[in-house]
Amino acid sequence: MPDTTSRMVTLRRRFSSTSPIVIAFIALILGLVLGALIIIFTTPVILNAWRDIFHSWSSPWHAVKVTADNVGAAYRSMFTGSIIDPPGLWHSITTGKGWNATMTPISETLTYATPLIIASMGVGIAFQTGIFNIGANGQAVLGGMAGVAIASMLHMPTIIHIPLTLLAGLAGGMVAGAVPGLLKAYTGAHEVIVTIMLNYVIYAFLLFAVTSTFLQQPGQQNDISRMMDPSSQLAPIFGVASGLRVSYGIVVAAAVVVFAWWFLDRSSLGFDFRVTGANPTAARASGINSRAIMVLVFLISGGLAGLAGIVQAASTTHFIDGGFLIGNAGIGFTAITVALLGRNRPMGIVWASLLFAALGVGGRSMQASTGIPLDLATIIQSAVVLFVATPVLVKEIFRLRTSPTTTVQLATKGWNS
Amino acid sequence: MELVSVASATPTSTEVTAAASGRTRAVGAIMIAIGLFTGLVFAMGASSAAHSGLTFNPVNLSNAPWHVGDLTVVTRWVNAVIALLMVVLGLEVIIRSPRRAVMVRFGVVAVLFLFALLFWVVRTPGPSPVPVINFTAVLIGSSEVAMVLIFGALSGVMCERSGVVNIAIEGQFIGGAFIGTMLASTTHSFIFAAVGGAAIGGLLGLLLAFLSLRYLSDQIIVGVVLVTMIGSFSSYLNLQVFTPFPQFNTGTLAPNLAIPLISKIPIIGPVFFDQSGFFYFMLILVGVVSFALFKTRYGLHVRAVGEHPRAAATVGINVVRVRYINVVLGGAIAGVGGVAFMASQGQFQPGYTSGLGYIALAAMIFGRWRPSGAVVASVLFGLSVYLSQNLQTYNVPVSTYILNMFPYIITIAVVSGLIGRVRAPAADGIPYHRE
Repeated sequence: MPDTTSRMVTLRRRFSSTSPIVIAFIALILGLVLGALIIIFTTPVILNAWRDIFHSWSSPWHAVKVTADNVGAAYRSMFTGSIIDPPGLWHSITTGKGWNATMTPISETLTYATPLIIASMGVGIAFQTGIFNIGANGQAVLGGMAGVAIASMLHMPTIIHIPLTLLAGLAGGMVAGAVPGLLKAYTGAHEVIVTIMLNYVIYAFLLFAVTSTFLQQPGQQNDISRMMDPSSQLAPIFGVASGLRVSYGIVVAAAVVVFAWWFLDRSSLGFDFRVTGANPTAARASGINSRAIMVLVFLISGGLAGLAGIVQAASTTHFIDGGFLIGNAGIGFTAITVALLGRNRPMGIVWASLLFAALGVGGRSMQASTGIPLDLATIIQSAVVLFVATPVLVKEIFRLRTSPTTTVQLATKGWNS
Repeated sequence: MELVSVASATPTSTEVTAAASGRTRAVGAIMIAIGLFTGLVFAMGASSAAHSGLTFNPVNLSNAPWHVGDLTVVTRWVNAVIALLMVVLGLEVIIRSPRRAVMVRFGVVAVLFLFALLFWVVRTPGPSPVPVINFTAVLIGSSEVAMVLIFGALSGVMCERSGVVNIAIEGQFIGGAFIGTMLASTTHSFIFAAVGGAAIGGLLGLLLAFLSLRYLSDQIIVGVVLVTMIGSFSSYLNLQVFTPFPQFNTGTLAPNLAIPLISKIPIIGPVFFDQSGFFYFMLILVGVVSFALFKTRYGLHVRAVGEHPRAAATVGINVVRVRYINVVLGGAIAGVGGVAFMASQGQFQPGYTSGLGYIALAAMIFGRWRPSGAVVASVLFGLSVYLSQNLQTYNVPVSTYILNMFPYIITIAVVSGLIGRVRAPAADGIPYHRE
């Protein structure tokens, strides 16, 4: 049957040595190796063991063992903290008890992945339009602020309050996205600089809002917001008593994935977006209003980032503080790497989000049990993306068969476009 | 300049002129708006009796044998004059629609605005506990920030003139500051620190060049990911190394090296000739980079490669090699900038460069990819960063957090106002395929 044959061809292409999946897998291994090297070179115990290898005959063996023990412990706690703890699983299977504790790591990973999927989808749609939205973190923060404001100041039944809160988050992100969109469309200001600067502006605005406006928790001196009403929170799917934090935010994420797939692959506006990304000149020549596209892509991308921000707050902390989404591990920054790893495709982004969420959650557990800083997870994530962004490099390292059709994925356009 | 219009499908020159003059008028209107705001708030908003003090003596009076008399001005009138000047400049831009230096006029208005703000905040009677502006101290404080920005902007000029977008300046700052504090704390030598910073910056430049020149990766994406990576790495090492061994991060500040005699000149002396070694190195570097790019054969090659690599290759220039050299040198310059930042701010903390690398990038764009322009832009940005951090001492009735937004908003405004007036090197950011 021709159908089967074509499916076989697709399958073979997918798992051939030059396919994106294989490249991503190799990139992950390389990233983990780099992480291991960093652990080795920054852990005094390991370095001391290697310094002493000439002390006795067993010393080299001892050094290898110390290295394997420390690196192994770090990666083991990363795995058991983010996916599953095998002894715990065995215990649950044999006794039927402790399922909540056994499922906690996966629940945490899903909780982390939920807003990440939403934000990365926004960044991915922008990338497909040839727009680099580095402002996702700021947009998520503003979305979170708007959502928390609605969620804490208004009181109404859950069935209205949750949608309203999510819409507020979406709107907050859109406002933050509109600025670079309008500036790019009407003045030509490059979105990269504008969005980076806006991240700092919005971050200062967050600190201002949670220290000196109505958003601050009454009676508090610290940088902390009001609590979201219980009617506006995204409840844990398995109930509060289970201790599993994975929430109905996952439904929102699923809806966003379906929307992104439909938008990019089925809608005519999405087609215009992709044409603009592939060839702006051709898009303009075919009558696509490039200014409108610039503004729209930032509204959608920023809106999704804002939605991610409020989903994050509504499903985990139920308030925001001055440290909301701070630093390199903020979901808006991770979203950039996720979109790149997932090649800006909806399903690719889902898998990449799960992987990076596992790394992030595992990093926390690694820090708790071995004291190795959580930042290692971000280093591994960025390394993976660097390897994926340069597929030719991975192929050369592993002498993989390169198909003649391999071309440059994303060509930069510099400041002039 | 001529090379560009051939290469890309640009609109005709009359269209460009029309659009540019429209934008010029818009900039003029914004200048007038700022002038009116200044007049209404900073001039009319101060009571007619209020006055502002102005002093020119450095805070540390021991090395100033001279004494410039303090000045007391009536806040309302001095700000009214400043506002009038702004409006006149704006009107001039609208009416004459000058083809050049519109943004310089805009920069002048921005600086005037900052000074009008200062006069207004220190007015007595008023909320400020300090009734005088120390003009010299403001300039010295701003010059420290401007110095770091100039290092970053020069790095950007080096890379982008050869056609590679170096968005990783922020990462090179972080790397330089990290290595800098480590070497300065252990060897007590800022020369070693600077060399170390240059090495780490150059290494990051090499990585950027390697990925973007050999593997034709997207330069902006690689740059941003590199910044993330260096940021996390420095924060990782901060916890792993600096927390248990604080002796590696003592945060010594670079000493000022006063140049005999000329450092005693009023105002100019303390600002230009009583600074750290990094400041003098920066001044020399501005000259060297300008000269190298615009007066030497090598500079001609670099600019050719940045504008039209194919044509450059045709006449026998090794495009890829030129780009490698410039990106590594540019990275090294930014790395030294990171050390200079550490040497003026003290102890390394993760994230304490707070986007200065990106502001430097904007300064480079504002300065039209020229070292001299980058200096002017860096001074403006340096002043705004300094004021945003220090206005709080005058008890301004505005939250610190709102003040902190200031330099970033100015950067956005400047980058948005520029377009159509500045043009990046034509091949900037575009991967070069050897055929």
